[in-house]
Amino acid sequence: MSAALRAEWLKQVTTKTMLALFGAMAGLVVLSVMLHGFGFSTVQLAQRSNQLRVFVEAGEGLGAVFAGLIGAMSVTAEIRHGTIRPTLLATPQRGRIIAAKAATSVLTGLAFGVVGTGLAAALGTAILSARGVAIHLDGSAYALLLAGGAAAAALWAVIGVGLGAIVKNQVTAVVVIFVWIEIIENLLVDGAPAISKYMPATLGQAITGDRIGTIHTPALGALLLTVYAVAAIAAGVVVTSRHDFA
Amino acid sequence: MSEPIAHSCGGAAHLDPTPVVSIEGLTKRYGDVTAIDGVSFSLQPGTVTGFLGPNGAGKSTTLRLLLGLATPTAGYALVDGRPYRELEQPNRLVGAVLESNDFHPSRSGRDHLRVLAAATSIEPTRVGEMLDLVGLATAAHRAVKTYSLGMRQRLGLAGALLGDPKVLVLDEPANGLDPAGVQWLRNVLRNFADGGGTVLVSSHLLAEVAQSVDRVLILSHGQIVADAPLQELASPDQTLEDAYLRLTAESAIA
Repeated sequence: MSAALRAEWLKQVTTKTMLALFGAMAGLVVLSVMLHGFGFSTVQLAQRSNQLRVFVEAGEGLGAVFAGLIGAMSVTAEIRHGTIRPTLLATPQRGRIIAAKAATSVLTGLAFGVVGTGLAAALGTAILSARGVAIHLDGSAYALLLAGGAAAAALWAVIGVGLGAIVKNQVTAVVVIFVWIEIIENLLVDGAPAISKYMPATLGQAITGDRIGTIHTPALGALLLTVYAVAAIAAGVVVTSRHDFA
Repeated sequence: MSEPIAHSCGGAAHLDPTPVVSIEGLTKRYGDVTAIDGVSFSLQPGTVTGFLGPNGAGKSTTLRLLLGLATPTAGYALVDGRPYRELEQPNRLVGAVLESNDFHPSRSGRDHLRVLAAATSIEPTRVGEMLDLVGLATAAHRAVKTYSLGMRQRLGLAGALLGDPKVLVLDEPANGLDPAGVQWLRNVLRNFADGGGTVLVSSHLLAEVAQSVDRVLILSHGQIVADAPLQELASPDQTLEDAYLRLTAESAIA
């Protein structure tokens, strides 16, 4: 197992994919915080719940999306470029490969989540202060934001690995992640909030302490999102184990 | 006491050594399409076996079943007596190249080998040795997308040799190599077999095969139509090409 882990880690750090996704995430976090931080009125931004929502939407939200992408691409990029063949020739135990990808993606996801929420919180706090808005978030709220953002992104990275193993095609995996988070779950939030609060993107928000439209228990959110991650990996292992690679 | 000793001494030269690869009744169907049907053969140490057949005959399917990438519908393929997917660190036993371009385009040649070495816990110094062996040392730091087809073939072969395996399985390894490269490859395979290794190499280059293999397997329409020493198929009376075209045409009529 440790050999497969080392190989997976080397794969992640020997291409430019991770750096490119990291840069894209950071750029979008800055853009999102600036749009919300300058776009909303100071009256709206004076509310604690809205302050947190601005930070969570940009930091945790984008961190989770990009962690999901890096998890999915750890599988789909291998299929796209054909490196899945040498990978399986070196380690034919397919469950071990998926597990190693999940483990390395957890590390990457944690980094994406910490940087995403940290950047959003720092920049957002600076913008609100510059507009003369009093910050109502205390130290523990910031701590929960960072820890929750990291946990949500790590779990989303694992979901991405499972999704990538199931759909295999890179474009399909990317489209599924974006359509699910940005369209389907957004529609559910408006149309069926009783359901949407148990869906994976909204659970990620719940872990950060965000209470708008979420279950109000971060720990339960983390537990439920873990269930999604485990289910995705289990399904990914089953599909991969039965697949005939050309 | 004397009789068994005499028997074993007298018979040893004729007994086949234990096959390192044995394939028995191997069959793969995709829906209604039968890709290969009851393929059986075994490979002995110290030999280079050419694996021939028209496009679509099932060569690639056979190699993928042997290497555990696909699951057979019936029959089995064993390496050292076990299915490939049950082997721990199989690259120490088998080195294989199935496609000439199985690389991440932005990863360097050296990093590609470092990843493979890590997956099998091979000491990192071996990466540099293999790059020297295949003549890629000066290009090792470059992204694979800058490599020519011949360089990719060499990098693939370096990956296959990384674990110091006993068996080499190569699908069309001479594609894209220049004449000097083809000769170099022939020598690598010959030295590998002379050192006790087993080589299975698929190819369409019959003139090259006739110069480099000990034994020929011909697959046509998913079935083995010839399994013989090279001398039986290529003689002063008929070239390997003559034999190949006759055997694959006969099976098409049947």
